[in-house]
Amino acid sequence: MSVLIIIDQAPYGNWSGREALDMALSLAAFDQPVSLLFVGAGINWLRKQQNPAPIQQKGVNRNLAGATVFGIEELLADQDALQRYGLGAEDLLDGVAITHYDQDLLANYLHVVCQ
Amino acid sequence: MTASQFVQFTLVVTGAPYTSQAPQTALHFARAAIAAGHTIDRVFLYGDGVQLATNLACAPSDEPNWHRSWSEFLSAANIPAVACIASALRRGVINDEERARYERDANNLASPFQLLGLGEWVESVASTSKVIYFHAGG
Amino acid sequence: MMTLHILNKSPEHPRFRLCLEAVGDADQLLLIENAVLALSVEGIKLPGRIMALASDLDARGVSVDGSVDAIHYDGMVALAAAADRVISW
Repeated sequence: MSVLIIIDQAPYGNWSGREALDMALSLAAFDQPVSLLFVGAGINWLRKQQNPAPIQQKGVNRNLAGATVFGIEELLADQDALQRYGLGAEDLLDGVAITHYDQDLLANYLHVVCQ
Repeated sequence: MTASQFVQFTLVVTGAPYTSQAPQTALHFARAAIAAGHTIDRVFLYGDGVQLATNLACAPSDEPNWHRSWSEFLSAANIPAVACIASALRRGVINDEERARYERDANNLASPFQLLGLGEWVESVASTSKVIYFHAGG
Repeated sequence: MMTLHILNKSPEHPRFRLCLEAVGDADQLLLIENAVLALSVEGIKLPGRIMALASDLDARGVSVDGSVDAIHYDGMVALAAAADRVISW
């Protein structure tokens, strides 16, 4: 039962992505296979240069940098979303795999959550 | 319909009442599932969905009371109901234990909801239950 | 693997496109809540056989022709029970 958590909302402006990440971390903590996919505005979670101190929020990039250490299998970034936001592989956190969002990708997962 | 066609559902509600239609759609789904002979092993409120578990919301008397409808349904059908504790604490939905821990004046968790962790949801995902999500629309 | 896609976002929501791209040939698409508004927009190509919740159509005053199956909550439950996978968008 492999789980895919899709994050399609940008960080900081609402809590949806944080709570989706918490779901992924919980699955990983219970040794359930889980991956995260970032599409649309959600791709902005993966930027290297994030400094949320001025808005008094915790940096999500630090949570994500530790994601694989905590047992999340893959951090996936959608190619089209990267292009849209002018991002290249060099702009992303380490450990992110670039993929293409489509039916075939989703077919690898028995449980898909798009919070 | 044979017994093998009956399914065990877990319902996850992430949209708040009076902000989204999610709790209404979920309640209609839950009633129809029970009426059809299926079972619901757990209702899990997550994110904004935990606002369904406050007993302090006061709907105008000429509007449906979704908090009460949900509580009555869950109690009558004897379905375990959980509000994610992390989501709930952030949004001011607390039980007596947390009221004491955080030294607050009052608690407001509606019966029959319990405050528990995401592990409850993980258990449903890892089980044979079909997990159905009810998110806020838009 | 037959997937039931439950979509509750209006056609203007970014999640709408995300859902449509995920619907495969063998899948089913059920429009609920604001997603039923897509049926009144000309030019939106929806994949396969389309189903919509009758109460959400009625609530929004959207009428449909015979190409759309208007179903009730018991039908939604039956679809979810029969699907190999259910994704709520």
